Amino acid sequence: MTTPRTSPAPEFTGDPAIAAARTAEDVVVDGRLVRFRWSTRVIHWGVALTFVLTLLSGLPIWTPIFGWLAFLFGGLQVCRWLHPLLGIVFSAFILLQFIDWAGAMRMTPADRRFVRLKSFLAYMRWELNEDEVGKYNGGQKVLFWLSSLAALGLLLTGVVLWYPQFFGEGLREASWLLHDITFILFTLLIIGHIYLGIVEPGTFTAMIKGTVSRDWAKLNHPAWYRDVTGERR
Amino acid sequence: MPIQGLEILQSSASLRGQNSALRQTPFLSKYIDTSTCIGCKACEVACQEWNDLPSVPTQQVGTYQTLPSLHAQFWNLIRFDEVEVEGNFAWLLRKDQCMHCSDPGCLAACPAPGAIVQYTNGIVDVNPEQCIGCRLCETGCPFNVPRFSERTGKMSKCTLCVDRTTRGLEPACVKSCPTGCLHFGTKEDMVALGNQRVAQLKARGFANAGLYDPPGVGGTNVVTVLKYADKPELYGLPAHPTVPATVKFSKRPLRWLGLVALAGTVVGLVGHYLRYGPRTGKRSQSPTPPEGKP
Repeated sequence: MTTPRTSPAPEFTGDPAIAAARTAEDVVVDGRLVRFRWSTRVIHWGVALTFVLTLLSGLPIWTPIFGWLAFLFGGLQVCRWLHPLLGIVFSAFILLQFIDWAGAMRMTPADRRFVRLKSFLAYMRWELNEDEVGKYNGGQKVLFWLSSLAALGLLLTGVVLWYPQFFGEGLREASWLLHDITFILFTLLIIGHIYLGIVEPGTFTAMIKGTVSRDWAKLNHPAWYRDVTGERR
Repeated sequence: MPIQGLEILQSSASLRGQNSALRQTPFLSKYIDTSTCIGCKACEVACQEWNDLPSVPTQQVGTYQTLPSLHAQFWNLIRFDEVEVEGNFAWLLRKDQCMHCSDPGCLAACPAPGAIVQYTNGIVDVNPEQCIGCRLCETGCPFNVPRFSERTGKMSKCTLCVDRTTRGLEPACVKSCPTGCLHFGTKEDMVALGNQRVAQLKARGFANAGLYDPPGVGGTNVVTVLKYADKPELYGLPAHPTVPATVKFSKRPLRWLGLVALAGTVVGLVGHYLRYGPRTGKRSQSPTPPEGKP
């Protein structure tokens, strides 16, 4: 007589905090704080990837110094039709991100204190101890609003540059100028954003796995830490 | 299409200008006398034939004019403008085409290396192999000349018959003109001819006659005698054409400002990392404990 083969119920061997981060946010699981759920991370990476691709395909059109970047896409002729299409995909992602984050990005008095020049410079010297920083600090919130505004500006001016036949001379000239100025300022912001995202251990991981350590949360977003864990200051 | 053997004075989106001109040659120019044009359109036909341009269906615009404006396959258009000048009716005929500016706005605006070139003889030409069809030249041109071809996805315009003129022939339009209102030669000669004709017109009562060779674009290599040169708008010409200031600003100062800002930010952040290192998260009130304090 043979015993029927029964397989045990499949046991989850992954990271429980990451598993929770598929749908949940702002909870403590297995000693980790869930910071970004799966959909938020996918949207943010979509924004990041399409931003970089749109930038790289636009730079060779901006100046021949970056002409070599055109060969990443198959030449300047390809960049010419790919760049606006990538821009549309980027706009779609940033719209999703706007819907996802607009509510969380309202500026509080603590955020306004954070982005004052003196305190921001102190932050950049790693010397700011702001106890009221919530899930996003003032700098992140300002970046969010500026990015959304810049993306809207790039989209509107980009459409004019894409279909110049439907617009007047003055509008075409203004759009060209604004498109250039906006993308330069936007890129400067994003360079700073990427730097801050990698210069601090744990921050980049937050956007990959969705989870952060207690120490990281206590250091960077103390008010959020207290909200999530229920601890008092 | 660039002509082999012609030296290049300016080339679009080329960092060092790709200036291959060893020799200096005089600028070549076309002379147009609007006061002796009879609107026969022989030049339109000659242009189509020589350049082998597929015909475009004509459009009735209420005058004898063939098309409302220039077309990617129609580089030479006689405009028939019915206007009122000094209380009198005037029927103004003008040959509309690329003006071959000495300081071409299209070339300044073009982002594709070598897609628009200016030869040492002053002719401004398009190289379709390099053209990416972005249409920015339309914004750069103050005369509304470059036309986008839906057929090729590229820009096209009058070449001043560069394939004829480099071989010692006059442009096809000049060859065909029955009244002698078109001439071709060096810029100097054409300006002299124009001034002579302007003096004649002035003597005959056209006090405002003049030669249209606008300095805002460095002068044009198509010079036009106008009976009412004080009001070139009557002929559909801009009074003070210039390469748009925004185009010039975007192309030079802004580009360098942007590059310096981008490079400066990257260098600055590397410096920042060297000075402050990673944000380790070890909380301390200050990097060096204050001394002499209780």
